[in-house]
Amino acid sequence: MLKTLVGDLPPLLWSGIVSGCLYGLGALGLVMIYKSSRVVNFAHGNLAGLAAFLVYGFSSGGLANLSWGGAVATAVALVACIAVLSYALIAPIVFKSDLASTIATLGIGLVLQGAIQLVFGAEIVNLDLPIPRFGVSFAGVRITSYDLTVLAVTLLIIGSLFLVIERTRLGIAFRATSSNPFASRVCGLDLRRVHLFAWLVSAVLGLVAALLIVPTTFLSSTTVSSFMLQAFTAAVVGGFASLPGAALGGILVGIATNLFSFYVSPEFMNTFLLVVILVTLNFFPDGLLARRSGGRV
Amino acid sequence: MSDLTQTDTPPRSFVDRALDPKALATLALIGLLLLLPLGAGGYLVYSLSLCFANAIGVLSVSVLVRYGGEVSIGHSFFVALGAYAVAILEKQAGVGLMVSLPVAALAGLVGGIVFAYPSRRLSGIYLAVSTMALALALPEILIHSEKFTGGFEGLYVALDPLPGLPKASQRYYLAFGLLVLICLALVRLRRSPQGLALLMARAHPRAAEAFGITRGWARISVFALSAMLASISGAVVAVASSAVSPNSFTLWSAIFLLVGSVVSLNGLTLVPALVGGAFLTLVPNYLAGAGDWVPVIYGAVLLGVTLAVNSASDIRRILSRGGRS
Repeated sequence: MLKTLVGDLPPLLWSGIVSGCLYGLGALGLVMIYKSSRVVNFAHGNLAGLAAFLVYGFSSGGLANLSWGGAVATAVALVACIAVLSYALIAPIVFKSDLASTIATLGIGLVLQGAIQLVFGAEIVNLDLPIPRFGVSFAGVRITSYDLTVLAVTLLIIGSLFLVIERTRLGIAFRATSSNPFASRVCGLDLRRVHLFAWLVSAVLGLVAALLIVPTTFLSSTTVSSFMLQAFTAAVVGGFASLPGAALGGILVGIATNLFSFYVSPEFMNTFLLVVILVTLNFFPDGLLARRSGGRV
Repeated sequence: MSDLTQTDTPPRSFVDRALDPKALATLALIGLLLLLPLGAGGYLVYSLSLCFANAIGVLSVSVLVRYGGEVSIGHSFFVALGAYAVAILEKQAGVGLMVSLPVAALAGLVGGIVFAYPSRRLSGIYLAVSTMALALALPEILIHSEKFTGGFEGLYVALDPLPGLPKASQRYYLAFGLLVLICLALVRLRRSPQGLALLMARAHPRAAEAFGITRGWARISVFALSAMLASISGAVVAVASSAVSPNSFTLWSAIFLLVGSVVSLNGLTLVPALVGGAFLTLVPNYLAGAGDWVPVIYGAVLLGVTLAVNSASDIRRILSRGGRS
């Protein structure tokens, strides 16, 4: 019993960390938008799903026949346009009512989901990463090139995001806006610019997370949005207003869901996430990092 | 906030009230809908019964928005709770709606309390996120508790609520009667001290606390009330469509309930509820050929109405300012 536990646990933890990075990337996008504009973007997963389909369409010949890099670049440009457009749509009400803007993002999500189905139909396709395949075994854990790519990309993105937010004027504006929008406006900050920054970054994060998560399964019109619950759970575990919290929450959720589906039951995954959300809200309403992070924004 | 500040018109005589054009129109509509099954075809009667059931569901979401200032995209859970309560009680105990409706309502009430409790002290977005989880968890719970729920295939509801009477018309009148009753109850609630307390806890939490109404208590009660209405709607849906299956209770159906509520401008009276219910029931029927366009249309409507409603107050304010100066 103990021996199988010792044998099972490291691979479970490892793959939990890898998928957790992706949930964390999804959660970071949600938290960026929530911190700056107080909107919960329910369209996040739908946009990310559309992004993955765009990459597929541009690289497979469905829409164009570009190389993988070209397809990603085109998709990034298009997704950025859609993100700007979505923000422009809800911009008139974003300062007025969190509730109305959140409902509006649901509308955007429905439209994007419909667009996926209209353009790509019920196609179920594979979308792999253009990376060499190899794998090494280390202490009973099989580490593949995919795992390393995910970790490297996540670290790179979190690192550069951290640099932008800590070191640039835009980052300072972002932090100011998230801690006190009114005072920032009084000081002459253009809140719309900060919002746009957050929406753009979030859309790109969604695209990256979608591209990295699709190789583990297949790409259908609902694949990517079905991972939204993991991202939302990660955001809640992290406190919904904390970027490090979102990353950490992602990894915790990744590990927890892996353990749950292995030891208990893979069928009740969403129910498990629901329980995680409710337990977190009840006992750690500000997220697991609340006490340590203090007043830092 | 306008809910609280908008004071009721002073009580008038019964004759005055009965002659109010708005009330007259509603009464005429009720009369028309009461007479309709005598002349209309079976399919229309069936669609309208579903429409009434959905109207109750729309009301449940509107109650949450108006009294709680919260948005739920998980009300399909409570609708399913009511629907499955009816179906399971019929299958296991052989009882009809007359017994199972109160059970369904109670299940919704308790479910609402249990669910709203953890987020009682938090801002509404946490509730929205956890309702999303609720809606996503529901299908897998239904599918994997086959012993009770019939799994993928679901269950049939065959028993008549009132044995002996014609099937189609008793379903119709039952759904309609419940809808009218709930609308009347909501009007009473709006005028009652309890209703005002709930509205005050939303609009002026500090003032409400000074009067001994805690925000958490108000949140839980509003959510429980809303969940109970959703369960009643589910019970009626189950009887009106004579079957329940996991397919009808997904995240999408929960979002559509919210769309219905937004389209009805979150109104808590009969006409808005019917508009929302009709939007949910009839639009998919007429758009059956539109297929993949349905989510786009619903999304565009949701977005459009939300934007229009929230900008309308702006335009009105600008206009009234212009008028005054």
